[in-house]
Amino acid sequence: MAQDDEDRRAWFRREILPLEPDLTAYARQFCRDGQTDPEDLVHETFARAIACKTWREVGNPAAFATRILRNCALDALRRRKVLTITAVADFERIEPMDEAPGAQTVLESREELRALADAIAELPAQCRRAFTLRKVYSLSPEEIAVRMGLSVSTVEKHLVKGLRYCSDKLGRRIGRKNKVDEGRSWSAKRDHDAKR
Amino acid sequence: MERETGSRRETVRQAAALWVVRLDDPSCSDADRAAFQAWRDESHEHEAAFEREAVAWARLDRLRVLRPPGERPDRDLLEPARRSSLPGLSRSPWARGMAAAAVAALVVTGVMSFGTSTAYATAIGERRVVVLSDNSRIELNTDSKVVVRYRNGVREVRLVRGEAVFEAAKDARPFVIKAADAVMQADGSAELAVRLRSDGAVVTVRKGAVDLDPEPTERKDELRLNAGVAAIYGSAGSRSRSVSESEIDRALAWRQGAIALNGQSLEQAVAEFNRYNRQQVSIADPSISGLRLAGYFQTTEPKGFVAAVTSAFPVRATEGADGTIRLSRRG
Repeated sequence: MAQDDEDRRAWFRREILPLEPDLTAYARQFCRDGQTDPEDLVHETFARAIACKTWREVGNPAAFATRILRNCALDALRRRKVLTITAVADFERIEPMDEAPGAQTVLESREELRALADAIAELPAQCRRAFTLRKVYSLSPEEIAVRMGLSVSTVEKHLVKGLRYCSDKLGRRIGRKNKVDEGRSWSAKRDHDAKR
Repeated sequence: MERETGSRRETVRQAAALWVVRLDDPSCSDADRAAFQAWRDESHEHEAAFEREAVAWARLDRLRVLRPPGERPDRDLLEPARRSSLPGLSRSPWARGMAAAAVAALVVTGVMSFGTSTAYATAIGERRVVVLSDNSRIELNTDSKVVVRYRNGVREVRLVRGEAVFEAAKDARPFVIKAADAVMQADGSAELAVRLRSDGAVVTVRKGAVDLDPEPTERKDELRLNAGVAAIYGSAGSRSRSVSESEIDRALAWRQGAIALNGQSLEQAVAEFNRYNRQQVSIADPSISGLRLAGYFQTTEPKGFVAAVTSAFPVRATEGADGTIRLSRRG
């Protein structure tokens, strides 16, 4: 049972989580009237997706996740006291994202490293320092507390703040990049075939 | 109400992030771990939020490679002002070169991506073959542009400028070409050429079959175009006729870098050359524009074409200061 739960979570990490940027973009279509937060829809979609006991039978995770998101959007619509015409009209109009590209592999590149460092650089000074000592130098929260003259719980707060900033940023941007190209030119095609 | 859920989301994510930080702390106790298990078991919302923060936390481990060797911890290593000097992040001369090359490649090959659609374009005198993810092929003629959009179960390609040959690969999804208001659906393995005109377009089907709907906004019958049929459509309506294999070959001679003339007027021939070249040819004397021509010419050699014309007809060519070649009647 415990192993099964761990497998289910691993599936969620591997197949569903990387869809976040695409799901957020899709969710935005349901939120044009500003009454619902697209990130709330994604958050709820994740909660429902990870609950799926029959995850082994999910053939197309992207189609699965978008179906859930659509249901979440519909539920949000039903909960409303005042329905706007645009919200209902939007709902009719939005097509299922059945051709969502598969889960994106994380870019193991200089590009991602730069994006991560950019995110850290944007944090407030103390938060950035604590985060740098934790993630770049692998110091423990206690060591950081001593070095910076702070309490351990304050260091934790800085680390949580930094992580929250980075996880939202990662969910929004990274992974978008490598999905766009629908085709390849001659030379790229040959490289592609050569690799196979 | 939605504001409330927004803050609830943030509350859950904060709690999840704190667990991620705590569990990764070497001093994390068994009691902490048990408390975490209990928290996670409370709801799938907690469980999913934890996975999300944990994955981000693990990804941030990559930052370790930025650590300078053998140095004492420097907490301001990632300070915005200093980041550019970090060896792992700074652009090496090689990386700079690659970046420049990437920009150059973008300019040369003309690939631009926005969201889920990708545009491919050619400059004047350029030809290009694009192979799409499903192995469909698009061959772009000079000064042309297509926008490719594969989604919602449809392979859609829009011809925005110029002329292109489309070879659809067999696939469960329909292959749809949009050009000048019309919508065409190609059968799997169809091959067709579409050339935009100032009004409408010409469609030539070489293989397979294509359903052409010149005005999708109106409920009119579609035209079924089989192999060996060319159709022309525009605001004045549409009509189709059958064309021979050699006629199609001539129309598509540009794929071999050639212009094939078979009785076209000098005016038509000049217009054709002007598509492929920055150096333009103009007819200064209307009385020669009706001369009929035949032969194969290199698309990018207008001078060769002009030499052929001046040797075969009483036509004189003069080159203006801007490079334009003016054709007028000799004698």
